[in-house]
Amino acid sequence: MYRYLIFLLLIGSANAHQMSPTYPQWSQSYLDGLSVTRVRVFNKRKDVKYYEIGVFDKDMKPIPFVSQYDLRGINYNTYAMFDVYVNNDYIKDAVYVCSTSMLTDVKSSGVASKICSKFKDL
Amino acid sequence: MIKELALIGIVGVISYGGSKSAFALDIPISASVTGSCVISVETNGTYGQPYAYKLSTTPADGGELPITRVDVTLADAYKVAFTTPDSFSSSPTLNDVVTFTGDTEVSAVSDATNMADYETDKVEVDNTDTYELTATGSTWFKHSSTATNGGDRAFPSGNYTAYVTAECIAI
Repeated sequence: MYRYLIFLLLIGSANAHQMSPTYPQWSQSYLDGLSVTRVRVFNKRKDVKYYEIGVFDKDMKPIPFVSQYDLRGINYNTYAMFDVYVNNDYIKDAVYVCSTSMLTDVKSSGVASKICSKFKDL
Repeated sequence: MIKELALIGIVGVISYGGSKSAFALDIPISASVTGSCVISVETNGTYGQPYAYKLSTTPADGGELPITRVDVTLADAYKVAFTTPDSFSSSPTLNDVVTFTGDTEVSAVSDATNMADYETDKVEVDNTDTYELTATGSTWFKHSSTATNGGDRAFPSGNYTAYVTAECIAI
């Protein structure tokens, strides 16, 4: 059992993309008419330098949003916080906020990763 | 004298009470369970070329299967969808229509009891396989991809790349 756990630790997150929280929530921003949420993206993929953020409706259609960066470089083994602002008129339609890896160094076949958190009432 | 002793006593009681209340401060232990999904790429995979007209990630064809691991910290909070390639993301100019086939399978799980049904319960639509992650822990997935050039014509020489897309979506 311990050997299995050590094995998991050794191989764990060797090349990983993480996003949290699972269920972010909107709060009123200091800008009138805009709501804001914050998500955290962790980059432990050596083959990925940039991540794109997006807001989508229930059918994964894009929703207009504002962020300081919608495409942001995240160094290996570091994380970035994304503050995402959406007009209050679109809040009801915004269901997902997603981060997508931008692959730049793929030799033959690679894995593009996308993680989506969901806005919902808990 | 008596008044002074009484005053000292009152002050003492107040001090004791004050210090007692200071020691009785509630110390909050808070936690915020936010949950997260982690997609790890264990192996990027490579295409082998068993025939001039075929590229395949199958080890028997000289390729290497892409392997991903998905970790979730909340049960019943995520589904994960894998889409195997239906085109090259980069290639030389092709000389015929290329047909892609692909599949995704669970290759290992961290919780054999609660993840036993992942493979049988998956939903396959075209080249996308979707799994409901009903338990916390890690699941390993292996992906196969084969590209066959039309008319059994040889692939033009050059570098070919294709992506498997892994999506972890909160539900």
